[in-house]
Amino acid sequence: MNIPLLSIRDLHASIAGKEILKGVNLEIQRGEIHAIMGPNGAGKSTLSAVLTGHPDYTVTGGQVLLNGKDLLAMAPEERAREGVFLSFQYPVEIPGVSMVNFMRTAVNEKRKHEGREPLSASEFLRLMREKRALLEMADKLNNRSVNEGFSGGEKKKNEIFQMAMLEPCLSILDETDSGLDIDALRIVAQGVSRLHTPDNAAIVITHYQRLLDYIVPDYVHVLADGRIVKTGDKSLALELEEKGYAFLEQ
Amino acid sequence: METVKIELAQGERLERVLEEQGHADWHVVQQTGSVLRLFFINLDPRDADLHVCVEQQGPDCVTELYALGYLSGSAHLSLQTDVRHRVGQGRSRQVVKYVLNDHAQGEFYGRLYIAPQAQQTDAQQTNRNLLLSPEATMRTRPQLEIYADDVKAAHGATTGQLDESALFYMRQRGIDPAEARRMLLAAFLGEVVDALQDENMREQLRRRIEESL
Repeated sequence: MNIPLLSIRDLHASIAGKEILKGVNLEIQRGEIHAIMGPNGAGKSTLSAVLTGHPDYTVTGGQVLLNGKDLLAMAPEERAREGVFLSFQYPVEIPGVSMVNFMRTAVNEKRKHEGREPLSASEFLRLMREKRALLEMADKLNNRSVNEGFSGGEKKKNEIFQMAMLEPCLSILDETDSGLDIDALRIVAQGVSRLHTPDNAAIVITHYQRLLDYIVPDYVHVLADGRIVKTGDKSLALELEEKGYAFLEQ
Repeated sequence: METVKIELAQGERLERVLEEQGHADWHVVQQTGSVLRLFFINLDPRDADLHVCVEQQGPDCVTELYALGYLSGSAHLSLQTDVRHRVGQGRSRQVVKYVLNDHAQGEFYGRLYIAPQAQQTDAQQTNRNLLLSPEATMRTRPQLEIYADDVKAAHGATTGQLDESALFYMRQRGIDPAEARRMLLAAFLGEVVDALQDENMREQLRRRIEESL
């Protein structure tokens, strides 16, 4: 059996002394898409924060391996360079830092980590153009400050644009569908689907079944009170949509 | 101590960049329709004591004062401005941005005076500071004296720390935290750089800031 891309074993984590994750177990192989659903406060966003190394969270137990390497021992930037990408639920505005400067720095840090030469200016701009087209984003994106003054839909497109630029092996999409109108949802979801290959994997955190019409998951997990309480295939998402989370308790 | 007394005649225009001045004392009188743009750039961790007093004596004048400071060690930077609108239809802008490290101390006293007859004045003063160390201190004291009733006058002063959420966002994209900090500080100070009209000067100052950071 291949080494799983991601292996989470009995993960416990807390914020400000309050335990949020209470023993999460999850294994993800390359090529898979896992949806995580669950009521508010179940720990969905905590899981994405802990996997990316957010400094506000403390891991109190368990283990996470990425390609067999100890993910939790790495700094946030190392995890990113190893291919962990988070599409933020609330993307951060960075006034005065242009998208082109931001992305060039990020892409070249990753290339350096992989022992590759930095991209030349023209190669880089060509890559930006190609990936912008995937998300149907305008040329002027290059010189805009990161997320500054972007609409809700533009911010989410910009997350997926960055994902396209960085080609992560593990993408975590934290409520990427929230705040999107139907057109933006289609563009974002199609972008994600096109970026999916047999070599990478995605964790899709969502409240709604509608995103999963576009990004079809191999597994659907329900996270409740800090643990995965049920796992099924895509039909579980439909069942949850219909009956709500209450039926799980029956 | 450099003391400069200047009178700008009708329609005259002056833009000056004052870099690394330890002491400066500027007194400028502006006549009708003149434009003054002064930049105080202090990136070298030395003490500085800067005074600038501008008086708009004719209508339709523009006064723009920009100050940028990056201080470390035990450097002390003090800037005192006094912008006086004596007559109407004048415009003034003050943008003061400091980044303070280590034990550095910053001071900004900004006085804005709008005389009773200076109607339709449009005046703005902003002071934003970043403290990078718990020992750094910033004192800011805006002083607005407005005696006319048909004016636009705005001021704002904030002192805070580097945006931790932006820092994490950048690290999540693989950017080294030291580099992310440099990018955020350069962006913070960039507002003053962007106000320079000459592109070569902008580029030169941007490079100097990057070297200092």
